[in-house]
Amino acid sequence: MRPLPSAHPGTPPLTSAPAYLWWVARRQGRLVLGGAAVGVVAAVSQAAMPFLLGRLVDTGLSDGLSRSLLVGCLLLLAVGLVQVVANVVGHRLEVENWLRAAFRTSQLVGHHVSRTGDAVTAELPTGEVVATVASDSLRVGEVFFVAARFIGGVVAYVMVAFLLLNSSVTLGVAVLVGLPAVAAVLALLVRPLQRRQSVQREAAGRLTTLGADTVSGLRILRGIGGEEVFTARYREQSQAVRRAGVRVAHTQSLLDAMQTLLPGLFLAAVVWFGARLAITGEITPGQLVTFYGYAAFLTEPLTAATQAVQVMTRALVGVKKILRVLRVPVTGGDPENLPSDEGVRGSTASAGADLVDITSGLVLHAGRVTALVSADPDETARIATRVGLLGREHLQDAPRVTLGGVPLDELGLAEVRRRIVVAESTPQLFTGVLRDELDVRDHARGEVLMRALATADAGDVLDSLPDGLDGLVAEKGRSFSGGQRQRVALARALLTEPEVLVLVEPTSAVDAHTEARIAQRLAQARSGRTTVIVSASPLVLDRVDDVVLVADGVVQGRGTHRELLDGDARVAALYRAVVSRTGPQTSNGAPATGTVIPRPATPFTHEHHREEDPREAAHR
Amino acid sequence: MKLPIADGPMLREHTGRLLRTNRRGLGKVLALHTLAATTGLAGPWLLGRMVDAVAQGTTTTFVDQAVLLLVVAVLAQTVLIRYAQRAAMILGETVFATLREQFIGTVTRLPLSTVERAGTGDLVGRTTNDIDRVQHSVRFGVPRVLVTTATIVLTLVAAFVVNAAVAVAMLVGVPLLLATTLWYLRRAPAGYLRESAAYATLNGTITESVEGARTIDALGLGPRRRARVDDDLREAFAAESYTLRLRTVLFPGVDLSFILPIIAVVAWGAYLISTGGATIGAVTTIALYALQIIHPIGELIFWLDEIQVGATSLARIIGVDSVRPDRETREGIPSDEHVVAQDVRYAYREGHDVLHGIGLDLRVGERLAVVGPSGAGKSTLGRMLAGIHPPTGGRVTVGEVPLIDLPLEELRGHVALVTQEHHVFVGTIEQNLRLAKISADDEELLRALEAVDAKEWVTALPDGLMTAVGSGGLTLTPAQAQQVALARLVLLDPHTLVLDEATSLLDPRAARHLERSLSAVLEGRTVVAIAHRLQTAHDADRVAVVDGGRITEIGPHDELVAAGGGYADLWHSWQHD
Repeated sequence: MRPLPSAHPGTPPLTSAPAYLWWVARRQGRLVLGGAAVGVVAAVSQAAMPFLLGRLVDTGLSDGLSRSLLVGCLLLLAVGLVQVVANVVGHRLEVENWLRAAFRTSQLVGHHVSRTGDAVTAELPTGEVVATVASDSLRVGEVFFVAARFIGGVVAYVMVAFLLLNSSVTLGVAVLVGLPAVAAVLALLVRPLQRRQSVQREAAGRLTTLGADTVSGLRILRGIGGEEVFTARYREQSQAVRRAGVRVAHTQSLLDAMQTLLPGLFLAAVVWFGARLAITGEITPGQLVTFYGYAAFLTEPLTAATQAVQVMTRALVGVKKILRVLRVPVTGGDPENLPSDEGVRGSTASAGADLVDITSGLVLHAGRVTALVSADPDETARIATRVGLLGREHLQDAPRVTLGGVPLDELGLAEVRRRIVVAESTPQLFTGVLRDELDVRDHARGEVLMRALATADAGDVLDSLPDGLDGLVAEKGRSFSGGQRQRVALARALLTEPEVLVLVEPTSAVDAHTEARIAQRLAQARSGRTTVIVSASPLVLDRVDDVVLVADGVVQGRGTHRELLDGDARVAALYRAVVSRTGPQTSNGAPATGTVIPRPATPFTHEHHREEDPREAAHR
Repeated sequence: MKLPIADGPMLREHTGRLLRTNRRGLGKVLALHTLAATTGLAGPWLLGRMVDAVAQGTTTTFVDQAVLLLVVAVLAQTVLIRYAQRAAMILGETVFATLREQFIGTVTRLPLSTVERAGTGDLVGRTTNDIDRVQHSVRFGVPRVLVTTATIVLTLVAAFVVNAAVAVAMLVGVPLLLATTLWYLRRAPAGYLRESAAYATLNGTITESVEGARTIDALGLGPRRRARVDDDLREAFAAESYTLRLRTVLFPGVDLSFILPIIAVVAWGAYLISTGGATIGAVTTIALYALQIIHPIGELIFWLDEIQVGATSLARIIGVDSVRPDRETREGIPSDEHVVAQDVRYAYREGHDVLHGIGLDLRVGERLAVVGPSGAGKSTLGRMLAGIHPPTGGRVTVGEVPLIDLPLEELRGHVALVTQEHHVFVGTIEQNLRLAKISADDEELLRALEAVDAKEWVTALPDGLMTAVGSGGLTLTPAQAQQVALARLVLLDPHTLVLDEATSLLDPRAARHLERSLSAVLEGRTVVAIAHRLQTAHDADRVAVVDGGRITEIGPHDELVAAGGGYADLWHSWQHD
């Protein structure tokens, strides 16, 4: 078996579901044909068993351990062995077919969502995208899994029908016409069954959501109350699922009964007809046994055919969902994109140039650490992401942002990403070894990593992992506290060492003392390199080279923290209003736990005082 | 803390109990299926009789009668299968429904300390993945195992009844069948678990890629995410290859053990025919039985495989049963609202005390700020004061009664812990609120919302209180979710609140709106506020400084500053900054 996945999944047609399936089929054409060939051998050798048994009944059995018996038995063994080999080889081929098709599809989806940028999040719910990999791609695989058996079955079916036609025209016609009719009747029952099954699946899905939701909020339920209400709700839905299941049982058992009845009656008819022919001597008793065997065998290809139709229907529905994901436009600037991919001229702007946002009038001088301040933090965040062209909401702004005088649309998104890195306030961490997750550009050595962690004051994160830098970051960084996640993300952003680094609220989730340390080290670490920090914290503002005040989307003033506080009256008033706002104090003097002015509140924080139980960290 | 997993004996006992309580249903299913399987034996038997009859020369009347019998058998089988299958499926649904409802019942009664410490990930996994994995086994597996076993046994019995001497040859494949099947079943569960783990990892990777799409774009992580997907697929492929190798051994072994008996029956039968020990018809019948038994045996092996995988999930589901309660309700009614901690000690691991004998006398109605470095034991102390963990030494009382002696329903009316965590339950806003006070009417719910400044936006919603929220419904902003949580506290109305950095993780923008809501909730209650920010300490009635699991200083802010201790140093350095 050729190992999977392949290096490149290829480029499928996105026009229609059948076109997609055909494309997949052509990519593994030889495998599909091989599977079909083996499927034919397996089915034919299976059909040969009744034939050989019948011959033995006629020629071997009555004479004791005769030569013809021996030959018959050896033939039976030989056919049996062929069947054994064909079965296992066929199984291996059908599994390989299945894996190739399913993995190719999963890979296509997995690769595409790594390029789309936030367009995928905007257009589709996460669950739907995950479902294309978790189930729809498997549906595609199933088509190729059943294909071989289906083809083999059809060939064997036709062959047996002609063999029967040879012995008796009536029987042959009965098989060719009668059995498909039986299958059609059964197919009629399949529809209501599928309907009821999908009702039950939906109810069960709701039940799972309800269960997961109840358990996720268990701390609240146990702390506040309401367990009874929630168990009652769960029980109610659970009973609804059970009732839906009982309805499925009614139809399913009817179908099972029909699957016994119709082939059973067919068998009886064959036996009756065959026995009459046997009495008149038209056929031998052995042939009667063969007929019986055929009649029993023939239902198998029919089942395979019904199954194949179902699998195909399900797969086409699945492919439609897959295509919806693959059609999400690429709005990100992937480093592997070539300028020609994006249709840009590939202009260059020399390093060490000013970054200018024409819309707001913001000029970011090369080599300086600049803070952006606004009464509305969303506004500064928006400008910060715009100068880095992050997010599809800014795509049309590219001509109005220039680096060294060159509009960003001429540079191309991949080049912009290489030179300008934007780190947003909600940090997203990924599963993996901490060292790799920090060093996303694969060029930092241990020492540099440690320095970045120190700048972000994230030493405690290192201590919380038993293996330090080689420790594992859990899914979405779940095992870290909110503050830890933010600091790890900050270290990660620093390690990209870009020409321009844009940080949006990098310290919003850390306490004031930590913030003060980070502000100081950050300014040092980035000194001489263009850096933008969106923050209204005086601790940060006091450390940067320039502070730019923004209001109504436009730059209102710039200077150092001190200069802005003491400068031009209008600007100073505006600036003070933003940076020195205290939280609304309540009349009764209640603790204002989230005051906006961050002050070093807990200077107890000895940096590495950590005999703390890790569980406690999880509660912070 | 890991939640327990049931061991072998517990699993067997539980399964035994499950089977016993459903004895009657099981008996019915088994009886119906046995009858159905018996009627299914008629075909080969009648054919054998006919082969003999034809050889000896017979009339069409005999054939007609025999075929009529066959038709009757088919009809009987049809009816029996219909009712047997229905009974089996309904039984499976019933047993599974009971199982999952019992599980949720147990989970929602888990001790407070277990819930606080175990985290929800493990429990969510058990509620979703494990329940899903077990359902197939319980709903279809157990009934099918019984049915196939019955069919196999009956077919063998029938073969021996027709001609015991010939039927012996049917057993020729048994050693090979047993050997391969056992070899396979010993290895298969681990293989299939590895497969599902690999697919779960892949799904996790895709989830991260979609949710972190912006971060991926910003940092140029695309190539890495693709490499990660490829790695996950590689692992899934390795897992699939392993189970495929197992089946590459299993299938030929089993297939061969099915073919050998047919040949053995024919050859041995031919010998017996020649000695007069059997008729051609009998040999035909038994050969057809040997052919017919293949299907149920194959199905049995399939289900044994599935059930093994299901059993590991079942062990995780019923393992939750073995969590011991962390408190025992005793007599005693609190005489007042006075909360006192005396010589409180706590150790997560034996011998490693996090708290070293803390004494604290909360004055009714005061605001106490607890400050101290990370890891000093502030949060642990908070959980002791809220009665969540029983202390390993000393006691915390309200009105002279230890908190852990109170029934949980009553404890909640005295002390509540507020953390930064908030959860919006799937349901209406009304349902989200009423869990704090089931008897509350809409009027009261609205008053609670008004107190936390949330009435306006709730009533502005098209469906007001009846608006569906949570997954699938309206998504509340973090601030709105926190307000709903605070409104719940108003309804619960405890006299003492422990705030564990309740708003520290919120976006600064949201925090501003929330302070008003929070202060409304604090009004008129005793408050213990665990905080990072010194501002909190400054505004409190008293400050307790916790360091190294002890209270090192306690008193009003001004006194502590005047005393010139550690707190004063901090205060001064902050002011000069």
